Amino acid sequence: MSVIGIDAPRVDGPAKVTGAAQYTADIVLPGMLHAKVLRSTMPHARLVRVDASAAEREFGVVTLTRDDLAGMDPFYGVVVKDQPIVAIDRVLFAGDVIAVVAAEARDIAEEALDLIEVEYEPLPAVTDSVAAMAEGAPVLHAARRTPQVTFSDMKSIHFQTDSNVCSTYHVERGDIQAGFDASDELFEDVYSLPMIQHGHIEPHASIAYWEPSGKLVIHTATQNPSVIRTQLADLFNLPETSVRVIVPYVGGGYGAKTYPKLEPIVAALSRKARRPVSLVISREEVFMTAVRHPAQVRIKTGVRRDGTLVARRVEAIYDTGAYADIGPRTAKNGGYSAGGPYRIENQDLTSYCVYTNKPPSGAFRGFGVPQVCWAYESQMDDIARRLRMDPVEIRRRNLIQENDLFITGDRLVSVGLEKCLDQVTKAIGWRGIESTRPIETGRLGFVRGLGIAVMIKSTMTPSNSAASVRLNADGSATLLTSSVEIGQGPHTSLAQIVAEAIGLPLERVSVTFPDTDFTPYDQSTSSSRTIFSMGHAARQAGIQIRDQLLEIASDQFEVAVDDLEIVDGVIRAKGAPTQSLTIPQAFAAHFGAAVGSLFGAFDYQTTGGLDPDTGKGSASAFWFLSAAGAEVEVDTRTGKIRVLHAVTSVDVGKAVNPRQCRLQNEGSMLTALGSTLFEEMLFDNGQPVNASFLDYMLPSMEDFPDTFTSMLVETPHPEGPHGAKGMGEAAVGPVAPAIGNAVANALGGVRLRALPLRPERVLDALTRRGVE
Amino acid sequence: MKRLVTMTINERTRDVAIAPHHTLLEVLRDDLGLRGAVEGCGVGVCGSCTVLIDDRPVSSCLMLATNAEGRTITTIEGVSRDGEFSPVQRAFLEQQAFQCGFCTPGMIMAVEGLLRANSKPGEAEIRDYLSGNLCRCGTYSAVIAAVRSVVAHRQPPATRDAASVGEPGLTATSSDQ
Repeated sequence: MSVIGIDAPRVDGPAKVTGAAQYTADIVLPGMLHAKVLRSTMPHARLVRVDASAAEREFGVVTLTRDDLAGMDPFYGVVVKDQPIVAIDRVLFAGDVIAVVAAEARDIAEEALDLIEVEYEPLPAVTDSVAAMAEGAPVLHAARRTPQVTFSDMKSIHFQTDSNVCSTYHVERGDIQAGFDASDELFEDVYSLPMIQHGHIEPHASIAYWEPSGKLVIHTATQNPSVIRTQLADLFNLPETSVRVIVPYVGGGYGAKTYPKLEPIVAALSRKARRPVSLVISREEVFMTAVRHPAQVRIKTGVRRDGTLVARRVEAIYDTGAYADIGPRTAKNGGYSAGGPYRIENQDLTSYCVYTNKPPSGAFRGFGVPQVCWAYESQMDDIARRLRMDPVEIRRRNLIQENDLFITGDRLVSVGLEKCLDQVTKAIGWRGIESTRPIETGRLGFVRGLGIAVMIKSTMTPSNSAASVRLNADGSATLLTSSVEIGQGPHTSLAQIVAEAIGLPLERVSVTFPDTDFTPYDQSTSSSRTIFSMGHAARQAGIQIRDQLLEIASDQFEVAVDDLEIVDGVIRAKGAPTQSLTIPQAFAAHFGAAVGSLFGAFDYQTTGGLDPDTGKGSASAFWFLSAAGAEVEVDTRTGKIRVLHAVTSVDVGKAVNPRQCRLQNEGSMLTALGSTLFEEMLFDNGQPVNASFLDYMLPSMEDFPDTFTSMLVETPHPEGPHGAKGMGEAAVGPVAPAIGNAVANALGGVRLRALPLRPERVLDALTRRGVE
Repeated sequence: MKRLVTMTINERTRDVAIAPHHTLLEVLRDDLGLRGAVEGCGVGVCGSCTVLIDDRPVSSCLMLATNAEGRTITTIEGVSRDGEFSPVQRAFLEQQAFQCGFCTPGMIMAVEGLLRANSKPGEAEIRDYLSGNLCRCGTYSAVIAAVRSVVAHRQPPATRDAASVGEPGLTATSSDQ
């Protein structure tokens, strides 16, 4: 019986419901010290003096300041080497790391922080990305040093060096001006999204120590152990084999745990301390460690009266904060996705990644796409309204189709977007253009509305995932993989793929945690790529083992390999089940006794890349598509929005574990719900004002809509294992504009263009309409 | 200077040497090695450090451990008995009411507290009671389903037809049969 497409129970369940699951902060090593971080109180300043000598004199206290980094290049970064382990000559945001203290206990470390003296010379700060691009703005980074090893897709990014624009990306097709000229109607708007935080409940945590041989060992809550190894090897001038990265269970990340975060700090401090150092940061510090790019999106679209999209120009400005992190790629991906999942002949898309004196923005579920999707899907409904068309109909008229050329030049395959849209419109009860009218509630001041939206997103390409499978003589198998169990269930879904590939019962396959001493390279547990890329590699590695077993049995039975199969761990001739070998018997036949191992290994590389001059080439190994629908109720007296129903449909190619797919998708929906209605990091002159869960609210069960439906469409992808492709981020993009469109429909076309849709913004918009 | 505090933890009464400024969460994790409760926010909002004190859920990150003198504390480690999952744990497994699992011990303890206070909570009561336990993986629907299934299982078949319990269309999970 196939184990693909079944709701296999998650193997991590027993550990997680008993509290036995080990996360990084649960690890205690002999002699381990606990670290605390001293952070900048200024958004931009020259560091005149950093004196940790008084702290260092305390018993058992070890400190790390810039003085300890003399003699090494202290800067790291996967795209731009712009972030130091601790601040060197300047601090670039309020929250920047100045010094770190390790002590026997957390409270001793905390007290020792007070003994460190810092003298600042304030510098003018720039906290808005548009202001940062203006002439005369203080330039935060004068140079762009790229690391020796970076990702090949970064070649398609233009780096700038004389301004706060870190990088730009541009792609076009057709003739944008001719397109606008040929249009019957033009729409030109500016949309904006604030900084938000991932809200992973497990704060960042890392533990490092150095073995006497000079090997660096690090336990860390990361989404990409292989990249951490590369970065630490580069920083500390070590061969990669001398850096060991181990990742236990990770308590959520959603992008916040990609690329170096605390790892360089604990590595440097434990080297000095000569003891293991654990750093678990507070919730306040999490807000200073990774955030989603605030963005401003200027979008101009020309349409014909029949609803055909003719031309679209988008300029998207991504505020990457004080350090580049993965911002250039985020802006690039947002850039080429800004036209949306539509056939538009004339497009001109540009994105900017801009430095400001704010916390570093990085990867966030959706990766640059929710920003542009908010703009193009909100505007799409305005277009439909002005043309008096059904918003679903105008989308259908323009949707990309199987085999279309995307603006990047990619040939699109596995395009199930129309089915997603069908599912969503059905689920929310969409009834054509009449569904754009306010729905009366019979209660004074309360109106309801329906809205829908669609999205397209890419995955990081090119990229590598390697898997190694070991079959034991008893017929049990282990998949060695650097894919991280961060909640999405790879210990179960990858086991399903390996069991299917070899022909083993599912419970006979286990999946390792990442440990770079043993598990092969994987680029990242992000970009919704694990099932597609690691799943592909794991399946091929499993097939290699199956083929070895079939060869053994072929010799035994004197039957051609093609006439054999493995079912439930038994090798047998097809149609003649009397001839069979168990796996121990096969090992005995091969090795002389039921001992030894059989191995399979596969490195799956997706190919592609974009030309830096044209922005074209092959952007993505697969594209994922989704649709969302929402019904909202607006209290027009208070401006408060309640989401009554939220539905999404995602094309997953093939759901290896459908229940987990739906559940993961609900996570995307909930994240989008919070960022649409209320999530927003606020700053006052560069100072964070709500960096705590007391002030920055995440959606709770009380915010949860009455119905919350996650649906799947399966349009098999030719490269994916069993046709599967990624889906983990798919619903983040369209939920916000679906809600925004529902609000606009409830309010007779009143459009809010800035997220979040706070009550006072709703009231403001209603007041302005009243005045007009 | 540590102080000896007597408390009952997971049905075992013991004297624990406690630094007076340490929270109950710190003592549970660092001194007693009970690491199921975790710190998510440190300000009593996220619920991932939830334990039961005298059957009521408490954010252990907010409570000084010395205030637990004479109290009865149940942590996630004390929920399973004799290696058997509790009904709530079993329901979480059956409904797959977890993803990354970091909030799960706190969520389960909150559900335990809910069901001790109210053996038959409705949907609104479930949502209200559990709104202090945040899950960013978005597993709320499965958690609600898990609570409903525990409630459905609890009804003695002699007094009530199982099919009439709970919401229309709810099918009781069948693992006990």
